[in-house]
Amino acid sequence: MAYPGYNRQPYGGYPGSFPAPPVQDPMWGYFTAIAGQDGEVDAEELQRCLTQTGISGTYNPFSLETCRIMIAMLDRDYTGKMGFNEFKELFAVLNGWKQNFVMVDRDGSGTVEAHELSQCITNMGYRITPQALNCIIKRYSRSGKIYFDDFVACCVKLRSLTDNFRRRDTMHQGMVNFQYDDFILCTMAV
Amino acid sequence: MAYHNQYRPPHFNNAPPDQSFLWNIFQRVDKDRSGAISDTELQQALSNGTWTPFNPVTVRSIISMFDRENKGGVSFNEFAGVWKYITDWQNIFRTYDRDNSGFIDKNELKQALTGFGYRLSDQFYNTLIEKFDRQKRSQVAFDDFIQCCIVLQRLTDVFRRYDTDQDGWIQVSYEQYLSMVFNVV
Repeated sequence: MAYPGYNRQPYGGYPGSFPAPPVQDPMWGYFTAIAGQDGEVDAEELQRCLTQTGISGTYNPFSLETCRIMIAMLDRDYTGKMGFNEFKELFAVLNGWKQNFVMVDRDGSGTVEAHELSQCITNMGYRITPQALNCIIKRYSRSGKIYFDDFVACCVKLRSLTDNFRRRDTMHQGMVNFQYDDFILCTMAV
Repeated sequence: MAYHNQYRPPHFNNAPPDQSFLWNIFQRVDKDRSGAISDTELQQALSNGTWTPFNPVTVRSIISMFDRENKGGVSFNEFAGVWKYITDWQNIFRTYDRDNSGFIDKNELKQALTGFGYRLSDQFYNTLIEKFDRQKRSQVAFDDFIQCCIVLQRLTDVFRRYDTDQDGWIQVSYEQYLSMVFNVV
């Protein structure tokens, strides 16, 4: 298939099931401290949560817009908020993407070159035509360089759009029939 | 149910402004007198009614729409188009901001988009507001309203290009889907 599989283990290594978070889980600590009564975080709260976990390392923290699309990526019921299990899933995915980026950003500058972005995308398992890749690169580069936050935004959108497509490609043919309303809805929600 | 040919905000037939009027404005906006209005200069000249900078993404969309030479700015020749475009949007915004709050709330947005020809679900409007409302007031300011309409329009245009028999359905491969959509969303 042209797109990568989704056999990512959720954080904690339990395949497919999400047990109740153990009290010692540091993720749970960060999350509940910020999530409040409803047990869910919005974009601004997610931004604070992620900053606390230090996942960005020496890179700039994620922008609010990137946090918003991260929520959208996992937000099956369109509530605009993220629960704890989704947060853990996100964290695992972010670590993977960060590793990809760090491998390429050897001088630790916080940016990679356009052609290196292509390499990253291919390393993640996406098989995309050069033309599609060019669209993506143009969208995310600033003066020929791609910053970590934009890189993550790109990965989020790639995954969201791929999910949109896969969910409709039930016969695994690599082709989907989109009806207009559905097309607009699922694409705008990304 | 297929979609109609409209999906565009109404065209306002104001008399074209005279050249000296436009030139006056152009000169004031082109602060560095480079002969072209850059993204930054246009952003500084526009107001979204919130005392925060005009959405830079919207500014970029507008400049690229009228910048025929890909120079990253608009010359005086191209500026007339920009002026009309923004004036049209101001009129539309004022039309649909029925309570004159300076913001378009979910119901007003529904009326606006339905007026342009879109048929979208109620829940979708929640998604739209969530996505475009940069002020976090569950309503859209002038710049975010324009941005929302631009994105809807572009996605519709790209869909229409693939829908050659105009039946409201397209068949695309994974790569086509990504290329279609990636430079719009």
